[in-house]
Amino acid sequence: MRLTTVLLAVFAVACSQAPPPPPAARVPSKLEGMWSDPPATAVGTFCFFSCTDAGIERLNALLDDPANDKRPFPQLQAEAAKYQTDNYLRPRMTEAALKTYPLDPADDPGFLRCEPWGLSKQMFAPHQLEVRRVSDDQIDLRYGEWEAVRTVSLDGRAAPAGPPSRLGHSVGRFEGDTLVVETSRVAAGITWWDAQHSDQLRVVERFTRSDDGDTLMLTATIEDPWSLREPVVAKKIWRWAPDQKITPYDACEPATEFKKGTNEP
Amino acid sequence: MRLLRVFLLVLPLLVVPAAKIGAHHAFSPVYDAKRTITVDGVVTQFRFVNPHAMMLMEVKNKAGTVETWNVEFAGRLNLEEAGWNAQTIKAGEHVKVTGNPAWQSSQRMAFVKLVRADGTQLEPGRAQRLSAIEEERRQRAQQRTQPAK
Repeated sequence: MRLTTVLLAVFAVACSQAPPPPPAARVPSKLEGMWSDPPATAVGTFCFFSCTDAGIERLNALLDDPANDKRPFPQLQAEAAKYQTDNYLRPRMTEAALKTYPLDPADDPGFLRCEPWGLSKQMFAPHQLEVRRVSDDQIDLRYGEWEAVRTVSLDGRAAPAGPPSRLGHSVGRFEGDTLVVETSRVAAGITWWDAQHSDQLRVVERFTRSDDGDTLMLTATIEDPWSLREPVVAKKIWRWAPDQKITPYDACEPATEFKKGTNEP
Repeated sequence: MRLLRVFLLVLPLLVVPAAKIGAHHAFSPVYDAKRTITVDGVVTQFRFVNPHAMMLMEVKNKAGTVETWNVEFAGRLNLEEAGWNAQTIKAGEHVKVTGNPAWQSSQRMAFVKLVRADGTQLEPGRAQRLSAIEEERRQRAQQRTQPAK
């Protein structure tokens, strides 16, 4: 009897001193932290906003041609961008989207009324991007431009009821070290190449950190049956920038003096 | 306050708009990227804000009247990348500023370059970026001419 009591007492003490059960696995991903403008390279600068493999290949071909050695880089950049538009983007657009393409930049709601960008531009916004793991079930993508915050649910929760929203509903998962984010229920808006898109837009983003840790790569597959005949695959690069901060975006003034019809061909 | 002589130098210049790289909106509806102008005056205010930093300066025109000019920069988000802060340009400084003129306003420009009274220059981060790219291009050209090993 006495032995039983002693054993029970020892067991009770052992239980009281046992470490609490570990919380659900919360391993920081390699993506977390602050990223910002791309490396000061030719390709990084070409992809400052967004780019495609077709554009990058054209830029590299121009840079490798000795006949272009004396031409200023902005000229080559513009030529590669035009090639990208004419040979990759335009052929993927539907007749409906081509009717208004390229949109007049003077009609941009961000310019006219300081309305923040929709998903299709925001996900490629220049400057800061902070990847923040808020909880086991949520990652926030926080952008300097417009101080926009995208919430990515990792538990696969369904989109809330209601109309499509500016940044849509995003669910994510990790495939190894790659964060895959699928977004739908995005309100109709403007793509990064200044074309209209519908609320049927769907985007799959894949975020991967480079082996040397210095850059974050995004490959985004964009689908919209109203504006695209086939998906557009766009890319972007950020540089690791732990000292960068997101500062208040509070001094936007609606445009008052401007000229219409300056669309670039 | 010192009243300063103004000179306007209008140059046809084909350039890719400097502000476009970091702008929250397109550059072309507001500024003429194919021309630059230069004005000389005294800074009265520098607002280091987003989406675009702004500077006001007093400039004496040909008739001797002082005009207020408005210079628009990329945003604080962009300029901080290049090491700028709220004290980079100070009220009271005598500066010479070059920029792309606005289509619709005669006293407004998009920043290209600023020269201080002591001759030092201030350029946007894009200038540093382009300089690094030119070095990359030189190296590419050098590799091209080297015999394959």
